[in-house]
Amino acid sequence: MKTKKILAIALAAGMTMGLATVPTMAEEKKTFVFGDTTFNAENEEADINPQNTYAGWACIRYGVGETLFRYSDTMEIEPWIAKEYENVDDLTWKITLNDGVVFSNGRVCDGEAVKECLEDLVANHERAAGDLCIDTIEADGNVVTIKTKEPKPALINYLSDPYGCIIDVQAGITDNGIVIGTGPYVATDLVTDDHLTLVKNENYWNGDVNVDEITVRTISDGDTLAFALQAGEINAAYGMAYASYPLFENDDFTFSSTATSRAFYAWMNFESPVTSDPAVRKAIAMGIDKDSFVSVLLNGYGYPAVGAFPDTFSFGGQNLTTESYDPDGAKQVLEDAGWVDSDGDGIREKDGQKLVIRWLTYPSRQELPLLAESAQATLKDIGMDVQVNCTSDNNTIRKDPTLWDVYASAMVTAPTGDPQYFFTSCALDESVSNNGHYHSDKLEELADEMETEFDIDKRAELGIQMQQTVLDDNAYVFCSHLRMSMIMQSNVTGLVAHPCDYYELTADLDIN
Amino acid sequence: MKKYTIKRILQLIPILFAITFLSYGMMRIAGSDVVTQKMENTGVVVSEATLDAAREQLGLDKPFLTQYFVWLGKLLRGDMGNSYVSGFSVFDTFISKLPATLLLTVTSILLTVIISIPLGILAAVKQNTVIDYIIRFCSFVGNSLPNFFVSLLLMYFLAIKIRIFPVIAKDVSLKSVAMPAITLAIAMSAKYLRQVRATVLDELDKDYVVGARARGVKFSVTLWKSIMKASLVTIITLLMLSIGNLLGGTAIVESIFMWDGVGKMAVDAISMRDYPIIQAYVMWMAIIYVLVNLLTDLSYRFLDPRIRLGGEKQ
Amino acid sequence: MSVKNLDEAPEKKSEILVKMGKKEQCGRQKESAVLKNGKSRDNENRVTVRVQRIKKSHIKQKLIFFSVLAACLVILAIFADHLCPYDPYAQDLSSALQAPSFQHPMGTDTYGRDMLSRVISGARASIFSTFILVAAISIFGTIVGLCCGYFGGILDSVMMRISDVCLAFPGLVFAMAIAAILGGGIQNAILALAVISWPKYSRIARSQTLALKNEPYIHAVILAGDSSVQILVRHVLPNMIGPVLVTAMLDIGTMMMELAGLSFLGLGAQIPMAEWGSMMSSGRSMIQTYPWVVLSPGIAIFVSVVIFNLLGDTVRDYLDPKNGRLQ
Repeated sequence: MKTKKILAIALAAGMTMGLATVPTMAEEKKTFVFGDTTFNAENEEADINPQNTYAGWACIRYGVGETLFRYSDTMEIEPWIAKEYENVDDLTWKITLNDGVVFSNGRVCDGEAVKECLEDLVANHERAAGDLCIDTIEADGNVVTIKTKEPKPALINYLSDPYGCIIDVQAGITDNGIVIGTGPYVATDLVTDDHLTLVKNENYWNGDVNVDEITVRTISDGDTLAFALQAGEINAAYGMAYASYPLFENDDFTFSSTATSRAFYAWMNFESPVTSDPAVRKAIAMGIDKDSFVSVLLNGYGYPAVGAFPDTFSFGGQNLTTESYDPDGAKQVLEDAGWVDSDGDGIREKDGQKLVIRWLTYPSRQELPLLAESAQATLKDIGMDVQVNCTSDNNTIRKDPTLWDVYASAMVTAPTGDPQYFFTSCALDESVSNNGHYHSDKLEELADEMETEFDIDKRAELGIQMQQTVLDDNAYVFCSHLRMSMIMQSNVTGLVAHPCDYYELTADLDIN
Repeated sequence: MKKYTIKRILQLIPILFAITFLSYGMMRIAGSDVVTQKMENTGVVVSEATLDAAREQLGLDKPFLTQYFVWLGKLLRGDMGNSYVSGFSVFDTFISKLPATLLLTVTSILLTVIISIPLGILAAVKQNTVIDYIIRFCSFVGNSLPNFFVSLLLMYFLAIKIRIFPVIAKDVSLKSVAMPAITLAIAMSAKYLRQVRATVLDELDKDYVVGARARGVKFSVTLWKSIMKASLVTIITLLMLSIGNLLGGTAIVESIFMWDGVGKMAVDAISMRDYPIIQAYVMWMAIIYVLVNLLTDLSYRFLDPRIRLGGEKQ
Repeated sequence: MSVKNLDEAPEKKSEILVKMGKKEQCGRQKESAVLKNGKSRDNENRVTVRVQRIKKSHIKQKLIFFSVLAACLVILAIFADHLCPYDPYAQDLSSALQAPSFQHPMGTDTYGRDMLSRVISGARASIFSTFILVAAISIFGTIVGLCCGYFGGILDSVMMRISDVCLAFPGLVFAMAIAAILGGGIQNAILALAVISWPKYSRIARSQTLALKNEPYIHAVILAGDSSVQILVRHVLPNMIGPVLVTAMLDIGTMMMELAGLSFLGLGAQIPMAEWGSMMSSGRSMIQTYPWVVLSPGIAIFVSVVIFNLLGDTVRDYLDPKNGRLQ
């Protein structure tokens, strides 16, 4: 009896000890573990193939691929794989590549390789095809000449979009979505929604790489991410919940934060019986408390938004006017438009139609459920019944305009540092994502003008006018801009948050 | 015994049919078909004619039953279609994630055995003493805590405060499996502890225990030689049956601890309405469950001499 | 609590009396139970009679005590609206994430909502959903079991095969799949759990009915010309309701946890509904920084599950003393 008991205890103890022993690591090898909440299929980043939806973000973020040009900290175009470009005429661009750029498998990245890659890209990637409008590509040594079908003033900006990562097309794409790029790291293993293993690119063309091995862990759960960083299982984290920030505001951890053009904003559905009413849209714009949302719910890690672009841009929100938080004003607007609460349930109605707002949003950006729940409460005060549908299925649902009234999303509005992108992607008649079917004659006109305008200042001016048009229609309500933060252990260096949110793991990354 | 086995296996066939039929039917009811889903994902407006052509190509214009048998045929060849989200083969995805779940299941069952059997016996032998009360109190608490609550508390105490186990599973290893396995084992042990105690108490009540005592056999000998043996059948049955509960119960725990098994896969798939994956998960879990139940039944009969011998005589 | 170690004649007598008093509910297992209970075991049985008498009389008191506790919970749930110190849905971002204090005994959450009010309001969602669920499955399952057991035939085979299939799916897996098809929402979560849980009741009811069917008194009422419905309702049902009731009582705690689990996964209650599982889910990232946001609903679930489990155990002991040891 006793011996058995002891045996049982010993067994349990032995097991615990056995499990607890930490495997010793080779000293000289520098390994880095990066916890990320967004590297998953839900965010259209199932793998690192830049030609697969938004997976290019993963490709460029984790240092596997590089684009021809990159953005500086002030969102200006800088050379990267390419060293310069020349705009020969409205339709012709001549891009000269750097000498000595090689793919991680050793193949030289010359004009021919770039041509192959871009041709593949426009064949596979619908958004890229629309943006670039490429007619022909010619390669001659290190010079690539691109002819577009129509004038594309922002071509170089578009080529710097993550989908423009130059990959070795001949090497192909593995079944699990691994590609060969020119970046400082080489992907060796990838399991969607779980992890990506990277090793140092021994052939890296642009300097030395400090870290030998990197694991990018998909951790979709916010508190697991916080626990993991606290326990030292990951060295740095992207997408930490705001509520966990206080845990890391000490000497053991460093924050790298920057203002980004990622905007949290609500799209109005113009097909819906409620939000097609301008008064309702105006009331929604007046009924969202942007300042409290940012200061309380985002812990101050954000900026209340006016327009699509943050104030750091020359065409940012400082040039615009829109409704501010004014619940009483909003009530008046609704009252005047005939929306009154006649049955005393706190919800207004008009012609038998209840003022119910179906608010579609998704959980993978932690700010969105917060925004939804806070808007739900403030809009309730002015007599709207907001029914939140927070689902990962948002991309399917929003394509059916009968299923939602307001769609709150988080998008990078100026990924290319240029104002055109936002409008072409979601506000124009032909925009792929204009799921609420917003239409404005004035906006279309301005967009046509922008299409052919090559002068940067004039483009900025047009960008301001277009934003103001959208705001006047209350077609979108911009709530806040993200102050993006990465939290890392204090011995990590070279991991810097970038305004465009593209570059995360670079050759500069090091652990001391 | 042989006859019984064959009978049970034959009975299994309609159940398996029902499971596959239900899994297929449910997902068909669930919403848009593959074609619409795929087309929607590209974001272009497609004409009805194109959709119909695509449906015809995939056989979706055929009657429901025909479709089902086509699907079943593919299923038997290991083809379960591709995931809507990642586009990978469902079967491969499922198979690649199964070992992790099995490891978690087996580890937590082992842990349960290590915890619940000695404590259950102890509680029974020391019935109505302080030890018994403490053990029963703990079992009661364990039984009344939701899994996810236990996970959060364990994560906080074991991984942050004491730092003995990793928070996230880095790989499929014994060390990584510890936290999710402990979480699962707590609830199960709490449940089985009571049953072990009850079973042993039942045995203690039997005549032979009294007889042994009357003959002067030491109580500890009776306990280990006879009572344990007699209780084992019940305990094994219980454990085998708990595999079924575990297969489902792992889902929450897997997704909290980022354990890359089928449970987490299912939770992710549900949130993205990735029906082929959900379908595969439900169906395979059901099939595994049914098979385990059958095995339990057979082993139970084999282990229990009364049933085994009785059956063979006939 | 255990009442089985009875050596002394007076104890035994009272035991038998209790049993006879409850003969109706307890059905047929009585004789064997009495025989077993009469058996003596080892020296532990010499623990004085007095102690045991106190324990025994405790069952009734315990039953009353736990019933009162459970009733308190139910009353709390019914009058949630009147008991909440604040509006559980009213946001006040200026007082977000306050630690428990005199004004907010359980603190406030991210949106500055009073946690105590939300927990009280959540009691309604959680407890009522559980009640609806358990009531639905036990009634439906019992009716199916009764009919199957009594009439037999095709009905019996068909229903039992259906229940086999429902049982073939491991619990939560099937519930998750159903929730996935129907989408989130507490009603769908209830439905999902109901589909997988009713066969348990139909099995119990069926086996009890089968046993009772051949009792002489049933034959007697058949001869007396009672209709099937009359027989089932008047004579079979009252005699088999005990085990069903016990199972239902014990199920309350389990079902409450499973509902909360589905909500935790986002498949049950949707925001902003105050429901314990979803409250824990939305506050889980704050376990270190603002623990009251997670712990308040967590403790609420725990306490209610404990109360209903204890009540269930006591009801079982009360109805069938032999099982006292199981707890």
